[in-house]
Amino acid sequence: MNLEEATAYTARCFHGEPASCSFACPFHLDIRSFLEKAAKGKWAVAYKALRNATLFPAIVSALCEQPCRAHCQRTLLGDEALAIREIESACLRYARNRKPESYTIPPKDKCVAIVGAGIAGLSCALNLAQKKFSVTVFEKESGWGGALRSHPRFADFDADIALQFSVLKVEFCYGREIKALNELSEFDAVFVASGAGGNSLGLLQSWERKLLTTSVPRVFMGGTLCGAGLMESIVQGTEASMNIEVFLQTGKAARTYGRSEENNCERCLSHEGTASLPRVEASDPNGYTEEEAKREASRCLLCDCDKCLVSCEMLKSFRKVPHKIAVEVFNDMGTNPPFSIRTLTREVYSCNICGYCKSVCPEQVDMGALLQFSRAARMGSGSYPAALHDFWLREMDFASSEGSFSSAPKGKGTCDYAFYPGCQLGASKPEHVLKSYDLLTEKYGSGIILGCCGAPAYWAGDEARLRANIEKTRQAWNGMGRPTLVFACATCKSLFNVFLPEIKGVSLYELLADTHGILPTRAFPEAAVFDPCAARDDKGMQAGVRELAGKAGIALEELREPNRCCGYGGHMRIANPALYDEITHHRAEASEKPYIVYCANCREVFASKGKQCAHILDMVFGLDAGCQVPSLQDKRDNSLIVKKEMMKKILGVEFKPESHEWDELTLAVNNELLKSMEKKLISTADLKEAIWLAENSGDRFYDESDGMYVCSMVKPVITYWVQYKQTAPKTYQVFSAYCHRMRFSKEG
Amino acid sequence: MRTATACASARRDSGVEAEKRIWKCGICKIELVMKKTVFSYLGHNVSHEVPTCPKCGKIFIPEGLAEGKMAEVEQQLEDK
Repeated sequence: MNLEEATAYTARCFHGEPASCSFACPFHLDIRSFLEKAAKGKWAVAYKALRNATLFPAIVSALCEQPCRAHCQRTLLGDEALAIREIESACLRYARNRKPESYTIPPKDKCVAIVGAGIAGLSCALNLAQKKFSVTVFEKESGWGGALRSHPRFADFDADIALQFSVLKVEFCYGREIKALNELSEFDAVFVASGAGGNSLGLLQSWERKLLTTSVPRVFMGGTLCGAGLMESIVQGTEASMNIEVFLQTGKAARTYGRSEENNCERCLSHEGTASLPRVEASDPNGYTEEEAKREASRCLLCDCDKCLVSCEMLKSFRKVPHKIAVEVFNDMGTNPPFSIRTLTREVYSCNICGYCKSVCPEQVDMGALLQFSRAARMGSGSYPAALHDFWLREMDFASSEGSFSSAPKGKGTCDYAFYPGCQLGASKPEHVLKSYDLLTEKYGSGIILGCCGAPAYWAGDEARLRANIEKTRQAWNGMGRPTLVFACATCKSLFNVFLPEIKGVSLYELLADTHGILPTRAFPEAAVFDPCAARDDKGMQAGVRELAGKAGIALEELREPNRCCGYGGHMRIANPALYDEITHHRAEASEKPYIVYCANCREVFASKGKQCAHILDMVFGLDAGCQVPSLQDKRDNSLIVKKEMMKKILGVEFKPESHEWDELTLAVNNELLKSMEKKLISTADLKEAIWLAENSGDRFYDESDGMYVCSMVKPVITYWVQYKQTAPKTYQVFSAYCHRMRFSKEG
Repeated sequence: MRTATACASARRDSGVEAEKRIWKCGICKIELVMKKTVFSYLGHNVSHEVPTCPKCGKIFIPEGLAEGKMAEVEQQLEDK
């Protein structure tokens, strides 16, 4: 993995790039930051920013044509652009200390001649003198200022120039006109800025704008002499100083400063939902009062894109910007604990991989894809925390082995349609699969494929496991004559789109909506449709559900933020339980109305939150939409019920699930403990196995005072503990169940 | 992030507070003693004193430790 692979994911992100106003500013003043400081009345720091960018703030604030205003994004809302000139003037008035800073750096042994004390020459001289070059300015007039000398406000400008040079050592030679270059032979470099129509020492023809160079290597030229306007002259003076510095260090002119020529936020920001605000009018003709200036500055939208950062709970909670995350994804691959540590693990495994960030990003930057990439890279390098995905990978293995089954309909070898319910639909409620299958078989002669699409492996970053699972599905599908798959689960459908593109798929809900004679029951008079994140791009599936709900006569509400992940996506629950709780809570609160859902996982998440909801299949088949959350054990049992029923229906054989010696144990677990076990993903089957092993080997601990036992069971990733008492033969009451990820060993 | 209080009522139901229990090894039939044990996770090692059978060396991890300090350290090591 190299840095480019990681940063390619966020290359189009323009968070932190110059605002459109700064982009238009000849000085590239960070206007956003300047106005933010001004709005808070931090005049001294605002002044410093203004002075550092413009060199002569009084001149610039008075004379700049303000191209920034044409790019002010307030205008997109129909408002007048920020009154930048007035705010700058206020800043000059209210900044208490305007004395330039002086830095103690050793003087340099190179000397530079500046021809002309106009604004370009002064700008170049000021910059070079700040860096302690020996600077001599030659001016044919009797003072500085050049063309500004005739301006009615020259007194103000003169004061500004004097202020900026007040702490610097520069030699000004007035009344001295340079007529030939040989007069300056003792100087290491020369900047010719003799003003419009001035003497170019015969070098104007050879002037080159990019580096402000001439045919004589040590001579640079710029300003109004070369056709620049007043503001551009200041900029060219600064550019010349930098080019001269490089020339003096290396003997060659080169550009060391960069400027983004393409990117600014103007192209993408919509400011949707931002309130319009009129320009603050000054009560005094001499300009804003301090309060007025602060209020006007606070109209700035501080244009920067933070759409993903404010939309996604995960990004919000970790407070890292996309570019930083990309760099950390790369860095984390090269860490060598304990000498260097990773910085991104929790973020990587806290993402729902739901694509919402991409959907709100003006440039479709997909942070989920970046973090998914990181998960795969870490799995590939063996540096992944297995405990965070172990449970779901084991569930996937179960669904793809003991819980799997595929067949064409009864008596057929192949079929045109096959129902692919996904592993969670039947596990959550067997009737959803059984009744859908009956209907699909009757109407479309559909077969069935029971199994897991591989999402747990995908989310864990386990590409090898995912590929193996996909291959298994491909074989089953080929064996049935390559039917069109009817998907009930949006995640399965979207995953197959990527990994099994040769399979044609249709959503169950579209098909049901198009099937004559289906009249869903009206679960609620009014409801909101909660579209799963995986169905974001599946307009057909979304429309099918709405049509079915419409047939039931339900008044539907659309959520303000559609297709958000309920919290289940990415299997981030173990990695970040607190964030999971926050996300599920937000989703349940997205509407006061009950939800119509069409994802088994969404249904369970909302049921666990006590949110009223109904699966669309409950309505289609007139089933009780009661919000029962099946336990982990119920889900496995339900999957086997579905398989058993299917095998009976299609093959006429009785399926006997794999049995274990501990199945015959009976456990009493109170509801509170069961709830806590579910949260920790500990199933009653795990407890039965642990107790059975302990009871048969005697390998356990006991407390004589009340006959309490405690035993453990070590699995490849997790160690489980259970505290219990025997209440009757093969019957136990469980008092606590917990687990940990660490391994322990005896020490000497 | 994992709650250590989730099983509080179950603990009460058992009638004896977790801290006051005297555990004995089911095989050796002798009382456990506190002994330093090395824990390993994701290539890192940490040590801690835990109840251990003095004879066979079998280790008991109490619930409070598993869901408290251990869970905390597990998370720190995952983040490294």
